[in-house]
Amino acid sequence: MDTQDIIKQTVTENPVVLFMKGSAQFPQCGFSSRAVQILKACGVETIKTVDVLQDAEIRQGIKEFSNWPTIPQLYVKGEFIGGSDIMYEMYQSGELQEVLQGL
Amino acid sequence: MISTEQVKQYIAAGLNCSHLEVEGDGHHFYATVVSAEFAGKRLIDRHRLVKEVIATRLASNEIHALSIVKAATPDEWEKLQG
Repeated sequence: MDTQDIIKQTVTENPVVLFMKGSAQFPQCGFSSRAVQILKACGVETIKTVDVLQDAEIRQGIKEFSNWPTIPQLYVKGEFIGGSDIMYEMYQSGELQEVLQGL
Repeated sequence: MISTEQVKQYIAAGLNCSHLEVEGDGHHFYATVVSAEFAGKRLIDRHRLVKEVIATRLASNEIHALSIVKAATPDEWEKLQG
């Protein structure tokens, strides 16, 4: 499987996936940390995360997959939602809680 | 270093905005963008639209980073103002 297939499989098999720098416990970047905090505030208990610092191909590949240049990136039910700015904007309006409801 | 006014002009030149606020320190900028062109678009596509307008300036690092605080349609913006 090539990198794009691996990413596709990851976001399809997991309802909520966060591609980030570091882990949920130990984020390595302020934006990734913010993304984890927002998901926790939405009541997501266990967050499926992919640490892009562990895999250079995923780190580059995820940017091509979404055509979005920055990390973190949130996927819900296989769909690219956005980075931490978008997550925060959706969290403030209540939209993110709706999207994540029941997952 | 560029001014918030300049960043504002760059965005306004490529996107028809009914309301536009830009704050920043010359490197990191924060924009609130209200445009009728956002209607019917998901948030991710609204952000893409704004980022596309200034893409070359981001690539050249003239604008180091732009966070979009809010990307709303005029209707949504009006409701937010209460």
